[in-house]
Amino acid sequence: MNPVESLIIFSLIVASLTVIFLPRKGLLAKWKHTIRSTERVLIEDALKHLYDREYNQLGCTLQSIAGNLEINSDKATNLVERLEKLGLINSKDGKLSLTPKGRSYALRVIRVHRLWEKYLSEKTGVPEIDWHDKAEWKEHELTPEQADDLAASIGNPLFDPHGDPIPTSDGRIPRKEGVPLSSLKEGNAARIIHIEDEPKAVYAQLLALDLHLGSQIIMIENTRERIKFESDGDEKVLAPIFAANVTVKLFERKTDVQKNFITLSNLKVGEKGTVLKISNALRGQERRRLMDFGIVPGAEIAVEMKSPSGDPTAYLIRDAIIAFRKNQSDHIFIKK
Amino acid sequence: MNLVKSNCENCPVHNIDNLVKLGINMEHFDYVVALCGNPNTGKSTVFNALTGLRQHTGNWPGKTVVRAEGGFEYNEHKYKLVDLPGTYSLLSTSTDEEVARNFILFGQPDVTVIVVDATRLERNLNLVLQVLEITDRIIVCLNLIDEAKRNGIEIDERALSKELGVPVIPTAARQKEGIPNLLEYIDEVATGKYRCKPKRIKNKNPKLRKAVEVLSNEVLKIYPNLPNADWVALRLLEGDEDIIDAVKSGELGKLKKLGAVESTQEIILK
Amino acid sequence: MTNRNQILELANKFRWGLGGNLHDALMESIFKEASDIAHKVVITKNEKGAFSFDKKLDKIVTNRWTGFPIMFILLAIVFWLTVQGANYPSNVLSNLLVGELPHILKNFALSINLPHWVAGLFIDGGYLAMAWVISVMLPPMAIFFPLFTLLEDFGYLPRVAFNMDNLFRKAGAHGKQALTMSMGFGCNAAGVVAARIIDSPRERLIAIITNNFSLCNGRWPTQILIATIFIGGLVPAQIAGLVSAGAVVGVAVFGVFLSLVTSWGLSRTVLKGEASTFNLELPPYRPPRILQTLYTSLMDRTLIVLWRAVVFAFPAGLVIWLISNLTVGDVSLADYFINWTNPFALFIGLNGIILLAYVVAIPANEIVIPTILMLTVVHFGLTGVGAGAGVMFDTSSIDATKQLLEVGGWTVLTGVNLMIFTLLHNPCSTTLFTIYKETGSLKWTVFSAIYPIIMGFTLCFLVAQVWRIF
Ligand SMILES: Nc1nc2c(ncn2[C@@H]2O[C@H](COP(=O)(O)OP(=O)(O)OP(=O)(O)O)[C@@H](O)[C@H]2O)c(=O)[nH]1
Ligand SMILES: [Mg+2]
Repeated sequence: MNPVESLIIFSLIVASLTVIFLPRKGLLAKWKHTIRSTERVLIEDALKHLYDREYNQLGCTLQSIAGNLEINSDKATNLVERLEKLGLINSKDGKLSLTPKGRSYALRVIRVHRLWEKYLSEKTGVPEIDWHDKAEWKEHELTPEQADDLAASIGNPLFDPHGDPIPTSDGRIPRKEGVPLSSLKEGNAARIIHIEDEPKAVYAQLLALDLHLGSQIIMIENTRERIKFESDGDEKVLAPIFAANVTVKLFERKTDVQKNFITLSNLKVGEKGTVLKISNALRGQERRRLMDFGIVPGAEIAVEMKSPSGDPTAYLIRDAIIAFRKNQSDHIFIKK
Repeated sequence: MNLVKSNCENCPVHNIDNLVKLGINMEHFDYVVALCGNPNTGKSTVFNALTGLRQHTGNWPGKTVVRAEGGFEYNEHKYKLVDLPGTYSLLSTSTDEEVARNFILFGQPDVTVIVVDATRLERNLNLVLQVLEITDRIIVCLNLIDEAKRNGIEIDERALSKELGVPVIPTAARQKEGIPNLLEYIDEVATGKYRCKPKRIKNKNPKLRKAVEVLSNEVLKIYPNLPNADWVALRLLEGDEDIIDAVKSGELGKLKKLGAVESTQEIILK
Repeated sequence: MTNRNQILELANKFRWGLGGNLHDALMESIFKEASDIAHKVVITKNEKGAFSFDKKLDKIVTNRWTGFPIMFILLAIVFWLTVQGANYPSNVLSNLLVGELPHILKNFALSINLPHWVAGLFIDGGYLAMAWVISVMLPPMAIFFPLFTLLEDFGYLPRVAFNMDNLFRKAGAHGKQALTMSMGFGCNAAGVVAARIIDSPRERLIAIITNNFSLCNGRWPTQILIATIFIGGLVPAQIAGLVSAGAVVGVAVFGVFLSLVTSWGLSRTVLKGEASTFNLELPPYRPPRILQTLYTSLMDRTLIVLWRAVVFAFPAGLVIWLISNLTVGDVSLADYFINWTNPFALFIGLNGIILLAYVVAIPANEIVIPTILMLTVVHFGLTGVGAGAGVMFDTSSIDATKQLLEVGGWTVLTGVNLMIFTLLHNPCSTTLFTIYKETGSLKWTVFSAIYPIIMGFTLCFLVAQVWRIF
């Protein structure tokens, strides 16, 4: 074969393989997506939706199910009938409610969902914004036994990474705490205890603002148009509806409020500081490893040198030189 | 600084001549000695000095990743010495530290030698304090003392020993300084001649103290011989996966998943 | 069973009351204690002077402008010393082991009336393969690794990881992969095990899969030999050493580049995820004890090469002899395979002999070159150099080797592609087994075996086509 011909054939092969196997947009990925919506998935999603409405003390109707699951009302009617037949829900005057059996089923699904989110956050590098979608898949796949094993393998966590409590295996779940961020008054100081991950667009916005569980909030200005507040020392602005997706808990004592902190990444080579806290953006092993090095509140830390490209940076901590990346030092708060 | 001389330098029993390096021969050992410590503190160097093997050493944290074993004989006792990968902590459940953590927790060594970097004592004490919580046959090997001296760092090892309640032996393992002294203490602790009184940190939080107390009583009901029930209770409260697993499967306090030992051939011919 | 579960239940109940930050509080109290004790027992005399030399040196080796050049220069110096230094002892060894000894052994075999095939199998097969491996492998390895160990003991490797981390981060991998790759230069199986120092599972898997792109022990000598013959042959003799060393560094750096590209590809497709953490303690520089390090490292390497020669090369030699002497019809098994693969192999700029050599070399890469040489002799029925089928012969000088390969139809393209293919093919069986042990996954083991082969074929193909166009 002539070399030019063979090169052309080669590029054709590469192109067609790309079309098939491309993640997300490839033919294979699309095909996988379509075979996903089975009956089990629909039933479980409907139960979850009902549970969610109940938990937030809102009513649930056929329309809200259809809307939430993105199916047409015929399908929704069929689904509701099926759920009733299975003894999972009751319907009275168009108002739907869970039976005890339905509730415990819903909690099982929610348990897996939240456990999986916790798993992703602690043990993998999956980005925050993708946790929810992946958990939506996984929640329909695990048996209760597998869920228990999963829970044990991540240390029987109490909360998911958004701050939602994880139901226990026998279906108990604690009551809701805290108030929405949008309800804080000027000068109020509080800590974030929950960040809602749906809808995704809103969640992305909250992530972009670098808000995390445990972040310290001080309200600066709360008007109908905008909410301006300080989060871990940085000024942030949000629209009130967005702010409603963040739940906070007011500080009990004045002394809990920390003032004047900067992040470690702001220090220049040769400067020193004292560690105030590690943001909850650093989770799991990564967080624990930093603490193993002695980065705990009160520790002195000095910037030793930067690598040729400026990241990572090496720090002097308890006489040892430890290097880590900017995405870590961005989340360590210090006082100069 | 002078290395502490053993108080009986000239006694016939306390002599380096009593050391027989047995290499890979570990048959019929009387005691198991584990070498643990932060990464890059000289554990493998100490191991080589005692066994005569050539376990690889290198100046970067993480050189050793697999457990290695060797033997030596001292004062007519045969010892199996286990060189472990470096660990920063027993609490962090990170996978790279699993081998060492499992051996310290479940391997039930007769003596645990913690090799400590004298130039970074404060950070190293983190691990020491944690190990003190779980066993009471411990020797702190204060290694790299030559490097500390060169950099003008001096450590009052008597005071340190008093603080920790365990023997502290300064060594420069690469130059084999202090090794005789270390051997002597290994022997004394192993045979029970020397009794350690390890320091244990008191929990300040009353709620936590209560929880630990109740829980450790329950644990002791099932595993009456557990030497470190308080610690196990604390780990359960923290949600330590390994400990939860060990409780669940009933393997707590037994030798378990210690991982493969590097074959002797691999040690020699890597 | 119920009792045990009750304990866990009880623990869980308490935990709800205690809140989630137990670990943080615990660590804080431990370090509080540690720092109290340290303040009581540590006396620092010269506050300023501690590690001041280290600090100065670090400023230079991690400097924006000098950091990377220093890295390349060090690497190049090590290779240059290896290429230059290995030449002479290699010739001496091969004169002795491949040139003289076989005759003596043969005569001895004749004198005790050993059957012809026994002498052939064990002397022309097993012994010669072993002798060849020793004379090709031993000198470069015994020079390269002691030098490398000096750098390691000095404390330079962690600085490399520190400098390179940014690249690895962009590729979705971990800076400590630089360390596992360095270990891979010695042996890929050791590099795969060393990946345990990477604490996040995703990045660890990436490090394991891409470790094969670090040229190992068994592949350096092939690169050095081929570079000396084909690349060094292109330039005047005075600079040949430098240029061949450059070519070898080039292949090694290309391997690093490929492992970055592969890491990047993997972390965007099958191993999707964010580059998570990197943390590395930079130890103080420690003046290596040069003589002792050189001595122990040299002994170590010598032992390894000898041991592997016995364990892998000897049996491989038997196999080579057998496949070139066992015939089906009139054609030996070796010729059968060579003729069968030749069309494809020649098309991508290699040849059937090379492919067969890589099949034989699955247990250990060391035996590639001896296999190629021997098969070339047999396949082309060359006389005067060897003494029959399956015989390795005296190619004690590099020139003789070169002539032989040219008779076998080799061009510079074959040389270049062999260098590429030596970098890019399946890991040896030991490494594959180690990958399986470390990942516990058949899927990833198979992937690690297939992926580099595809890559090697593709690249050889592209190079060959472009080569032919010009
Ligand atoms: N100056 C000096 N150097 C030492 C001493 N002990 C060990 N070293 C050096 O310190 C480095 C680390 O020693 P290793 O024995 O490999 O340390 P390790 O604790 O086994 O390290 P990991 O296996 O990585 O956890 C090596 O370069 C040794 O040569 C000592 O007492 N003095
Ligand atoms: Mg070691």
